[in-house]
Amino acid sequence: MNSPNMYKSAVKPTWCAGCGDYAVLSATLRAFAEMGWANEEIVAVSGIGCSSRFPFFLKTYGFHSIHGRALPVATGIKTARPELNVVAFGGDGDGFAIGAGHFVHTARRNVDLTYIVMDNHIYGLTKGQTSPTSGLHFKTKSSPYGNVEFAIHPLVAALSSGATYVARGLSSDPKTLKELFLGAMQHRGFAMVDVLSPCVTYNKVDTFKTFRDRSKPLPEDHDVTDLIGALSMAMDDTVMHTGVFYRAEKPVLGDHLEALKSKDGREWEEIIEGILRGMT
Amino acid sequence: MAKVFIKGNEAVVKGALLAGCKAYYGYPITPASEIAEGAALYFQPAGSTFLQAESEIGAINMVYGAASVGIRVMTASSSPGISLKMEGISYAAGSELPCVIVDISRGGPGLGNIAPEQGDYNQIVKGGGHGNYQLIVLAPNCAQEMCDLTMLAFELADKYRNPVVVLADGFIGQMMEPVEFPEPVTEFPAKPWAAGGTPETYKNLITSIDLDPDDLERHINHLYAKYAEVEANEIRYEEYHSEDADLVCVAFGVVSRILQSAIDMARAEGKKVGMLRPITLWPFPEKKLSELAAQGKQFLVVELNKGQMVHDVRLAVKHSVPVGSYGRVGGNVPTLKELYEQILVHLEGV
Repeated sequence: MNSPNMYKSAVKPTWCAGCGDYAVLSATLRAFAEMGWANEEIVAVSGIGCSSRFPFFLKTYGFHSIHGRALPVATGIKTARPELNVVAFGGDGDGFAIGAGHFVHTARRNVDLTYIVMDNHIYGLTKGQTSPTSGLHFKTKSSPYGNVEFAIHPLVAALSSGATYVARGLSSDPKTLKELFLGAMQHRGFAMVDVLSPCVTYNKVDTFKTFRDRSKPLPEDHDVTDLIGALSMAMDDTVMHTGVFYRAEKPVLGDHLEALKSKDGREWEEIIEGILRGMT
Repeated sequence: MAKVFIKGNEAVVKGALLAGCKAYYGYPITPASEIAEGAALYFQPAGSTFLQAESEIGAINMVYGAASVGIRVMTASSSPGISLKMEGISYAAGSELPCVIVDISRGGPGLGNIAPEQGDYNQIVKGGGHGNYQLIVLAPNCAQEMCDLTMLAFELADKYRNPVVVLADGFIGQMMEPVEFPEPVTEFPAKPWAAGGTPETYKNLITSIDLDPDDLERHINHLYAKYAEVEANEIRYEEYHSEDADLVCVAFGVVSRILQSAIDMARAEGKKVGMLRPITLWPFPEKKLSELAAQGKQFLVVELNKGQMVHDVRLAVKHSVPVGSYGRVGGNVPTLKELYEQILVHLEGV
């Protein structure tokens, strides 16, 4: 088996000491190792934010792209070079605020990639503002009198948009995290893992302890093929369930695109000649 | 091959395929939609990819991703959609990713209308996005050039690792004309910097971030050294009776077509009028303009805007000679008679 260290770059993570994202990094390295991928077979894509520094710390192809835009960049990569294994990384602000529009459409297309979100309920890189997963009344520098908005349910958004692998994990449980990542990487289709990964510097409310206290593994008899069941578990505001909510086999975007290509054995030049005259 | 009678927008799609474009990511907008529709119809059977994105922003970022893996890739839109793409264009320029963006410009500001305008000159030629970068800008004035300059755009994009914009107005996009297709491109430059999926093309990171001021300054200086090379090698323009002219009209896109007829009318009456049509809006034919100014010629810049390119002409001639400006906006295109009269007005001052 490959060593997790072979996927680690020489760049030392810039995250604060104690940041939840270290556990995500180590679980990712171990999942890569179990997948047995070569370095050049992996593309790590991110947007902007603390967690989006991720590709710098990996020895894979890395794309540190634009705030909120990791998923369309990843879609471009996957459709242009389907043989590469694409893993997108980001945070709750990047993915569910500025990138929310891209998130639902990437799920809808069932693009064959893994999307790992480090969800800390706050903007960390910009030093502590309210995010779309921040709770109501949560006080930050941008909500000094308390947050006036309700939080988004990322897993509900993923499920209702057509994601075919949806899971939630905890930074405080790296062993399970690795299993969830491995499942996502093995899955053919849009796989999203929302990781409750605390920001120890700017969020004193959603901590390792409170995330652990508020969460609970999905019941053992949870049926991962039942979309309605998965949605109701994801909607549950009394407890944040962890584990695999939903898994489905469905054609991926690449299958549909591939099916449209000419398969009648004509040479490219011949096809082009026809196209120039307005025929396909 | 015999000539085919097609719309300018369709010529873009076919030119792109001939140039070996492997992916198109776009979003519908009038008057550029035929490019997306053409790509949807023709790309997939030819083994290329077409995807309708969720937004212009989605589309330009898919272009960013596909360019990163080393394929020829494009998008197209019209003015308001191009404004949305500006973020991604700045990042692509910063990350040195070759890609082609076609702008079939329409009336603005705001929603404006869907009639032809050239109000995008500033946003495309002067930047539009944030930071220090430059786009290569090609301005076709007929369906044939929509094909040819789209093909050239891919070549220049790869050669200089930079986004290239084909800037046309709604007229050029919508007009039908005969087009003779060139031979398809079959040899492509190697892209060792791209994510090729092989150990040989291995590169750790494609990014536009340089947190250290000295690193970023070095990177920007590198970009500008590249732009200097573009300026030295890639200036393209067309002259029409400019040699003996007292008044040289300067115009691009559809305006140059009408001006050509107006110049013919004036010439028939013995008036010494000519035209310089920049084909590359950037790099701009500054040197040629300053040479013409040194010969004592005066200028009339005609645009479908309130006077955007005219500033570049005035800079090029260093205000040494009068440079007149005439523009129509809102989707109005000057008539032949109107331009003929403008020529007469401006000749009076010569």
